[in-house]
Amino acid sequence: MRHSARLAIGAVAAATLALSGCASGDGGSGGGDEDAAASESICDSADGDGPAIGLAYDVGGVGDQSFNDSAYAGLEKAVEELDATCEEAEAQAGEDDAAREERLRTLIDAGYDTLIGVGYIYSTAAYNVAPDYPEVSFGVIDGFNPTESQEDLPNVANINFAANEASFLVGAAAGLTTETDNVGFIGGTNTPLIQGFEAGYVAGVKEVDPTITVQTQYLAQEDPVKGFENPAGGETAATGMYDNGADVVYHAAGKSGLGLFDAVERAGQGNWAIGVDSDQYLTADKSQKPFILTSALKRIDTGVFEFAESVDSGKQLSGYVTYDLADGGVDYSTSNPKLSQDVIDQLDDYKQQVISGKITVPTEP
Amino acid sequence: MSPDAVAGGGNAAPAVRLTGIAKRFPGVVANSDVDVEIRPGTVHALVGENGAGKSTLMKILYGVQKPDEGTISIAGEEVAFASPADAIARGIGMVFQHFQLADNLSVLENVVLGAERLHGIGARARTEIERISAAYGFALDPDELVETLGVGQRQRVEIVKVLYRGARVIILDEPTAVLVPQEVDALFANLRELKSEGHTLVFISHKLDEVLAIADEITVLRRGTTVATVTPDTVTAHELAELMVGAELPTPSSGESTVTDRTVLEVRGLRVDDAAGRALLDDVDLVIRAGEVLGVAGVEGNGQTELVEAVVGMRSAVAGTIVLAGTDVTRRGTRERRESGVGYIPEDRQRHGLLLDAALWENRILGHQTRPPSVRGLWLDRGGARADTERIVDAYDVRTPGVDTTARALSGGNQQKFLVGREMSGDPVLLVASHPTRGVDVGAQAAIWESIRAARRRGLAVLLVSADLDELIGLSDTIRVVLRGRLAGTFDPRTVTPLELGSAMTGADASEPA
Amino acid sequence: MTTVRRLMVGAAAPALAFVVAAAVTSVVLVAAGDSPADFWRVLLSAPDPRDYVAIANATAVLYLSGLAAAIGFRMNLFNIGVEGQYRVATFAGAVFAGQALLPGALNTAATILVAMAAGAAWAGIAALLRVLRGVSEVISTIMLNAIAVSLVAFLLQKVGRRQGETFRTDTIPESSWVPSFPLVPGESSQVYGLALLAVVAGVGFAVLLNRTRFGFDLRATGHSESAAVASGVNVRRMVVYTLLLSGAVAGLIGMPELFGGSHAYGSTIQTGIGFTGIAVALLGRNHPWGIAVAALIFGYLNQQASPLGVTADISTEIIAVTQGVVVLSVVIAYEVVRRYRVRAEQAEVARQLRRERGAQAVSP
Repeated sequence: MRHSARLAIGAVAAATLALSGCASGDGGSGGGDEDAAASESICDSADGDGPAIGLAYDVGGVGDQSFNDSAYAGLEKAVEELDATCEEAEAQAGEDDAAREERLRTLIDAGYDTLIGVGYIYSTAAYNVAPDYPEVSFGVIDGFNPTESQEDLPNVANINFAANEASFLVGAAAGLTTETDNVGFIGGTNTPLIQGFEAGYVAGVKEVDPTITVQTQYLAQEDPVKGFENPAGGETAATGMYDNGADVVYHAAGKSGLGLFDAVERAGQGNWAIGVDSDQYLTADKSQKPFILTSALKRIDTGVFEFAESVDSGKQLSGYVTYDLADGGVDYSTSNPKLSQDVIDQLDDYKQQVISGKITVPTEP
Repeated sequence: MSPDAVAGGGNAAPAVRLTGIAKRFPGVVANSDVDVEIRPGTVHALVGENGAGKSTLMKILYGVQKPDEGTISIAGEEVAFASPADAIARGIGMVFQHFQLADNLSVLENVVLGAERLHGIGARARTEIERISAAYGFALDPDELVETLGVGQRQRVEIVKVLYRGARVIILDEPTAVLVPQEVDALFANLRELKSEGHTLVFISHKLDEVLAIADEITVLRRGTTVATVTPDTVTAHELAELMVGAELPTPSSGESTVTDRTVLEVRGLRVDDAAGRALLDDVDLVIRAGEVLGVAGVEGNGQTELVEAVVGMRSAVAGTIVLAGTDVTRRGTRERRESGVGYIPEDRQRHGLLLDAALWENRILGHQTRPPSVRGLWLDRGGARADTERIVDAYDVRTPGVDTTARALSGGNQQKFLVGREMSGDPVLLVASHPTRGVDVGAQAAIWESIRAARRRGLAVLLVSADLDELIGLSDTIRVVLRGRLAGTFDPRTVTPLELGSAMTGADASEPA
Repeated sequence: MTTVRRLMVGAAAPALAFVVAAAVTSVVLVAAGDSPADFWRVLLSAPDPRDYVAIANATAVLYLSGLAAAIGFRMNLFNIGVEGQYRVATFAGAVFAGQALLPGALNTAATILVAMAAGAAWAGIAALLRVLRGVSEVISTIMLNAIAVSLVAFLLQKVGRRQGETFRTDTIPESSWVPSFPLVPGESSQVYGLALLAVVAGVGFAVLLNRTRFGFDLRATGHSESAAVASGVNVRRMVVYTLLLSGAVAGLIGMPELFGGSHAYGSTIQTGIGFTGIAVALLGRNHPWGIAVAALIFGYLNQQASPLGVTADISTEIIAVTQGVVVLSVVIAYEVVRRYRVRAEQAEVARQLRRERGAQAVSP
C-alpha cells in the first residue's frame, strides 16, 4: 500500500512537472488562444493570388502584444496589399531543430512558398531545409547563418534589426529626462539579442551624461519563460530599481515588461517607463499610459511585409538584411504628449548623428 | 435499542453477541469460531496474547472489517455493519489505543468534529459536552486546547467523543497501555461510573491484574478463537495466563539432548539503542552451541525484536560483541552474516521475509542473493533457483500451484513453510527464528516444529523467540527470559512451570530459576 | 489467475487510459470550438516516409529518457531530475567532444563515457543528499533541474562561441560524427546512428534487472525495502548505485542528436525530454518492452500532432493535453487494476482455505 501510494504521489508530481513544462511553454499564448491561428486569423479569409506565406511563430504565437503580434501585423499588410494567402503555425515548448524543420516542410507540403520564421530559433531549420526546396523563399526574423562555411543560400534571408540603435535613442531620452541621474534596464534573458538592447541603451544614456548611473538586471539566464513571460519578476525588478533611485526604466523583456508598467504606476508621478518592440503607449492601460515615456520600435511588421514584397516582385531578399534607423526599420515613438518637443528635437538630432555615422552604437555591452 | 439493554436486567438480551465469527486475510486466519456474549451494563474484558485476534475481532464489531463468517447481534437484533458509521448508529463506540485527536483544536471542536449534525457546533453542543463531562466526573473544559492536555485527559476526550455520538457500548482498545498507575485508577473510576449509568464496556487488554480488577466477565482468545469465558472471582491470574498461552504444557518432546560443546553464537555485553539514545537492549550475554535451541521468552516489547535484529545485523550494536562461529561479526552487515550461515525467520514474514508480489522462485533467492544454487557469480541462476524452489515445495509440503505463483497468493501457513524451507537451505549454522509458527494452522505448526528439531539434530544452533510458551518449552534446550531489555532468568524447559515463566516475564517475584 | 487473464488485465489499464485520454481530448477540442474529427483524422493518418524517420529518432531519445527514469522507479526512487542530468551530461559531452582530444571514433566513445559520467555525477548529488542527509530525492532532483538549466546556460556563454543570437559549443570534428542510416529507402532524412544506443541500453536494462544479482537487489528493494534489508541488501548503497545508473543513462539521451544532428550543444537544444521520460516510464510500467511501446506512442503523437496547426487549424499544444491525460489516467487505471488483482487473489486464497479446511475435516 505504501508502495503504491508513494508511486502515485511520484507519478502525479512527475505528470504535473511534465505538464507544467508544456503549460509554462504556452503560457505566452494564454491570452492569445482565442485569437490564435485557429479562429479569427486573416489567413482564414485570405484568398488572393499573391505570395503564399507560411508564418511560423516561436512558442506562444499571436497574442503577445509585441514580437509575434508585430509579425502578424506585417502579414495582414501583405494580405491586404499583395493579395497574399497565408497559414500560421506555432512552435511547441522545448522542441528540437528536427521539429522546426518538420514544421517548415509541412507548410511547404501544404503549398506555401514564402516561409517566414519568427525568431532566430528557425535559423538552423531554415538553412537545413532550404537546399531541398530551391523554389521556396525563407525569411528568418533575427536570423543568422548557422553553417560552418557561412556561405549564403540564395533563398534564405536573415532579417535583422539594429535594435541597439533604437535603444540608443530611448537611452538618450532617459538621460535627458532623468532628474535623479539614475536610470534602469531590465532584460528578459541574458542572451546576445537582449544584450544588444542593453548596449545601445547604456550608450544613449552616457551620450547625454556619462555620470548617470545605469542599473541593469536580467530576469533569467536563458529560460525564455522566466525571462519573457514573467510580469511578476519584471515588477519586482522594476520596483527595486525605482527604490534604488532610478526614475526611468527601460525593458526588453516581452510580456514581463507589463510588470514594469505596474511598478512605474505605483512609483508615481515623476517616474517613467520605456517600452519596447511596438509603441506600448498605444496598447497600455489608460492609467499607465502617462508613465510610458516612449518605446524603442523594432518594425518586425515592416520586415515581414518587405520580405513578402521582395518575393512577390521576383527579387527575393537573401543573406543578411538589416533594418536600422536610416530606413526606419527601428525608431523611437513620440505618441506620449508628455515627451517634450525639446527632447524630441534633441533625439532627432542624435538620430541624424547615428544615421550619418557620426555616432557608432555598440552592439555588445 | 431495547429498554432492557439499558436497564441491564438479568434476563435481557445480550448487549452484543458474536456468533461463529471468522475472518481470514491472505495468508492468515485472524479469527475463527469466535463466540462472545456481552451482557448489558457490564465491563467485559477480552484478553489474549498479541496476535491472538483481539484487534481484528473489535474491528469487526466496530464495522471496520466485515467478517467472512458469523453473525453480530446488538441487543438481540442481528446486524451487518458496512462501516463504522453503521456501528455508531447502533450505539457502538470505540476508543483507540492511539488517540485520534487534533492537537490544535479545542476539546469542543474535537468532540464535535464529524458529528456536527447532532447538536450543532455552538451552544447546544457545549451544553451536551458539559453535561456528559459532569455526569461521569470527567472534569473537561470544552474550550481547552487538546495540545495542553495530559494523556489521561485526552483519553477522556476520546470517551466523551463516543458518548457524544450516543454510544451505549464502548470498546476500549488497550486503554491502560499509555497510562501511569494513578491515571489507570482514575480511568477505572470513570468506567465504573459509566457502567452504573447502564453503559456496556468492552475492555481489551493483556494486563491480567487490571482485567481482574475491572471486569465483570472475561473472554480469553487464543490463536484467533475464543477458548473460555470466566468471571474474575472464579479464576486467578495464573489460571488466566494458562488459558492465554495454552493450558497443558507439553513434555519436551525434543528427546535426548543434542547440545554439543561447540559454541556457534556468543553475544557479550550487547547494547542496542533507539533513535533517541535510550537502551532497548542492554548488557545481554548469551551463548548458543551447535545442536542447541535457546528459547527467549518475554512479554512483547521487552527487547526480543531488537535482540533478533541485532544478531541478524539489521540493527547495529552500540556496545558489546557478537561472535559467530569464532568470527567477530559485530561490525559486519546482514549479508555477510547470512553468507556465513545465518538463517532468519522473521517475526513479520510479510514485511521482512517475502516479496509478496514476486514469484516463489524469486523469493527463493531472497536472502541468498550471493549463494548457489540461485546465483552464479554476479548472475542469477534462474534454473537453479527454480529447481531448488521445487525441492523446498516438495520437502516442506508447501501447497502451491507452482513455483511461479506469487508469494501473496499462498496461505500464511504455506508462506511460513516455504520460508522455513528456504532458511534451512544452504546448511545454516545458526537459525534465528522469531515466532516461527505465529498465525499458521496446526498442521503447518507441527511441520515447522519438526523441521527445526531435525535441523537441531544435525547440529544447528537456534535462537528461538516466541510468545507461545508451548512452543518454547517444546523446542528449547534452555529458556532465557527477556525483561525490559535485559536477560533476566535461565530456565530448564523440562522442569519450568508456566507460573515461574510468567512471573519472570512480568518481573514479579518468583522462585529462583532452576 | 491464469497467465492469459493476467495479461488481459494488464493490457486493460493502458487501454482504459487511452480511451479516457481520447475522450478528454475530444471534449477539450469541442469546448475550444475545434473539430475532434479533424484532429483524429490528422492524428491517425498514415505518416509520411520522412515522418517515420522522425518518429524513430524521437522514440530512441524518449526510450533512453524513459529508461533513465524507470531504473529509479523500479527501486521506488523518483528521479525527477532526468532533465537536469541530460542537460549537464549533453553539455559536458559536447564540450569534451568539441575539444577533439582524441581522434575519430575514439572521441565519440570517450564522449559517451564523459556524458554518462556527468549525468551520473549530477544524479549523485541527489543520491548523497538522500543517504547522508535524508533529503527526498524528489525534492533534490527538482531543485537540481533548476540549477542545471541555469548553470549550463551560464557556462555555455563562458565556453561557447556566439553564433547569431545564440551560443554553441565548438562543433565536433567531422571524423567523430556518427553516420545516420536510412530507414525508408529514397528518403533524405535518416535515423541517427546512435539511436541504436537505445537498443543497447534497453537490452542492458533487461539483462541487468532480470538476470543479475544487482538487478535482483534493486527489484527486491523496490518490492519491499524491509524485506530487502532483512535479506542483506545495503539499501543506502543501492540508492547511490541506482541513482548513479539512472543519471548515467540520462547522460545518453542527448548523444544521438549530438553526434547525428546538431554536432554541438547550443541554446536551441531540445528541452523537457527528461520530464517526458518520466511519463514514458510510467506509461510503460517501467518494463523494458513497455517503455519501448510508450516511447513509440509519445514519439508518434508528437510527430503526428506537428501538422495540426497547418492542416486542421488546431493548436499543436492540444497534444500535450492528450499526453498529460494519458499519463494521469494510466496511473489511476493501474491502481484500479492492482486493486482488482488483489481482490481476485484474496478471493482465491479464501477458496483455497475453505478447501483445505474441508480436506482436514475429512482426514483428521
